[in-house]
Amino acid sequence: MTTYIIRRILLVPLLLFGVTILIFGMLQFLQPAERAALYIRDIPKNPEALESVIRNYGLDQPLYVQYWNWLVGRKNLTTGEISGGILRGDFGYSRVGSEPVIDMIKNRFPATLELALWAFLPIIGVGVWLGVESATHHNKFIDQFARVFSIIGYSFPVFVFGLLALMLFYGKLQWFPPGRFSNWVLAEINTGTFTQYTKIMTLDALLNWRLDIFWDAIRHLILPVITLSYVSWASFLRVTRSSMLESLHQDYMVTAKAKGLPERDAVRRHALPNALIPVVTLAGFTVVMLLGGVVITETIFNFPGIGSAAAEAAAQLDVVTVLGFALFNGFILIFANLVSDILYAVVDPRVRLSSL
Amino acid sequence: MNGNKKTLLEVKNLETSFSTWEGMVHAVNGVSFKLSEGETLGIVGESGCGKSVTVLSLLRLIQSPPGKIVNGTAFFNGKDLMKMTEKELNEVRGSQISLIFQDPMTFFNPVLTIGEQVMEPLKLHLGVSEADAQARAIEILNMVGISNPEERLKDYPYQFSGGMRQRAMIAMALICSPQILIADEPTTALDVTVQAQIVDLVKKLRDELGMSIIWITHDLGIVAGLVDRVAVMYAGYIVETADVMELYKNPRHPYTIGLLGSLPRLDETERRKLASIDGIPPVLFRSASTCPFAPRCPYRIDRCFNENPMLRNVGDGHEIACWVDVVNHKEQV
Ligand SMILES: Nc1ncnc2c1ncn2[C@@H]1O[C@H](COP(=O)(O)OP(=O)(O)OP(=O)(O)O)[C@@H](O)[C@H]1O
Ligand SMILES: [Mg+2]
Repeated sequence: MTTYIIRRILLVPLLLFGVTILIFGMLQFLQPAERAALYIRDIPKNPEALESVIRNYGLDQPLYVQYWNWLVGRKNLTTGEISGGILRGDFGYSRVGSEPVIDMIKNRFPATLELALWAFLPIIGVGVWLGVESATHHNKFIDQFARVFSIIGYSFPVFVFGLLALMLFYGKLQWFPPGRFSNWVLAEINTGTFTQYTKIMTLDALLNWRLDIFWDAIRHLILPVITLSYVSWASFLRVTRSSMLESLHQDYMVTAKAKGLPERDAVRRHALPNALIPVVTLAGFTVVMLLGGVVITETIFNFPGIGSAAAEAAAQLDVVTVLGFALFNGFILIFANLVSDILYAVVDPRVRLSSL
Repeated sequence: MNGNKKTLLEVKNLETSFSTWEGMVHAVNGVSFKLSEGETLGIVGESGCGKSVTVLSLLRLIQSPPGKIVNGTAFFNGKDLMKMTEKELNEVRGSQISLIFQDPMTFFNPVLTIGEQVMEPLKLHLGVSEADAQARAIEILNMVGISNPEERLKDYPYQFSGGMRQRAMIAMALICSPQILIADEPTTALDVTVQAQIVDLVKKLRDELGMSIIWITHDLGIVAGLVDRVAVMYAGYIVETADVMELYKNPRHPYTIGLLGSLPRLDETERRKLASIDGIPPVLFRSASTCPFAPRCPYRIDRCFNENPMLRNVGDGHEIACWVDVVNHKEQV
């Protein structure tokens, strides 16, 4: 187990290198003038000033020099100031956000993280539960129901679902508003009567012991969480159902019943642990999807996470910002991959103990 | 050797079928047999003749649907296994009647340790503590010849060799000291040398623990020294049954004669063909009013296609289901 984990961790720098090369490669499609946004705020309109920026930041240098600069930053030849350098946490300057890309990520990520935290459990819990139930009641009512449910989930576009939910629960019923919090909460934040320790609203509300604000945050989370769950349930249901059906027909289930285990216990103790193995991989992907910012859902519900931020940047052709987010996403992907590899080993001893 | 011993299990007219797309598969067609205390019964027959379905039906482990036990009784200690509630049956399974299977790889759960699986019946049936279960598991693993059992308890099935896995499977089956051990071709998936070791092991364990055994095989040779009596199955019927030595010396059913490779009038090629036909014999779909073996039988007569012979005694506990006295090659009534 330890060797397995060490191997996986050793792989991380390699993957990080791959991601940076990929993003850097994409940056090369930009004009040097646009790439200047990696180092400075305002790109000068005047061609001579621009020329000096390009020279100052080495944007005309060979690629490997530029890559290095991009990684560690570049000293301005005239002022001696260092700017840029993703390893220094400088992802460039965002035109759309009028702030450094990294600050934009820092400001927006807590919202995405909060949404992910609240969505993850219902997605996995309900999806896996439905999958198990429909496999153990193969072709019975719940299985048929789950089948219809997953067909709808796959074929009914998420933006239609989201908009309908918004129309009904906000437009008509006024139950669940869009956005992240109500104006009165914003006022409290601005006047300092509510302290944002983590920028995760529900958590901060508890830390401030303000149940009214907690409830306000929940009301804003419900629709996006349901919309996100709705897209993912279908895939969790399907994966769980089919791997469960497969497990139920394995020989070891005959052994389990021959031991005298009641059906339910045989399913729980013997089929389920095997059936969950592919679910772990899917869960890993889902985490990446959720943390990478869910563009459509965040946009529909006006939820200020990194998904909607990336969408705004893309709409305004702010490529440096978009690629900054892509880089951040790449890091999350690598991290989530590591976690799901480790989880994979926890649930499957063959993986854990093989020499891979 | 039996007769004076108490009957432990009495199976009568067991009938199991599967509904499939191609029609009803009559896998077991009215099988009857008895098993006495301490006795070892061998069930032989080629692949697909219904051996596994017979023993799985006994503990009602047939997957249903598509399978269904259509008929029959199986009295075990005075109670009919076919009529027991699921709860009563679960108390018998794994505790009084245990099963071991052909492929110890697929019949072990890959994600649980050998120890967890071996101890499971004990915890389930006797509710013993973890520590006691472990002590007993170590003891029984020792008994089946697994060295260093304290360590090996923590291993997973795929870390065991095939022979070791089968030993562990035997340990798992015997941990509650059952009265009957049912072994469904436990050596088929193993190397020849390992096969003999497993047979010897079971023989030794039987002498120590005194359980009755039903041993399924399609290789009579390997279990000759283990079984007391043999039932030969063909297409879901028992076609011949006799004490093992009698059956060897004096096989009376044409199928058994072919199986033992001693059919006097058949030439080499035909003999080999007979012994190696596998897959679903088409006869499983056929009507019950012909002898199932008739199409392949060198001794067949018209009657074989009109009437299915019942088992009849031909002396000294030797029974055959055949219209023809093969030894003298004439029809019998
Ligand atoms: N789940 C099932 N669905 C349909 N038919 C089945 C099923 N299980 C068994 N059968 C049929 O029942 C018949 C008897 O099968 P069984 O497994 O008892 O054979 P066997 O004598 O144990 O053969 P082998 O030596 O290969 O183990 C076979 O013809 C098979 O096709
Ligand atoms: Mg079989």
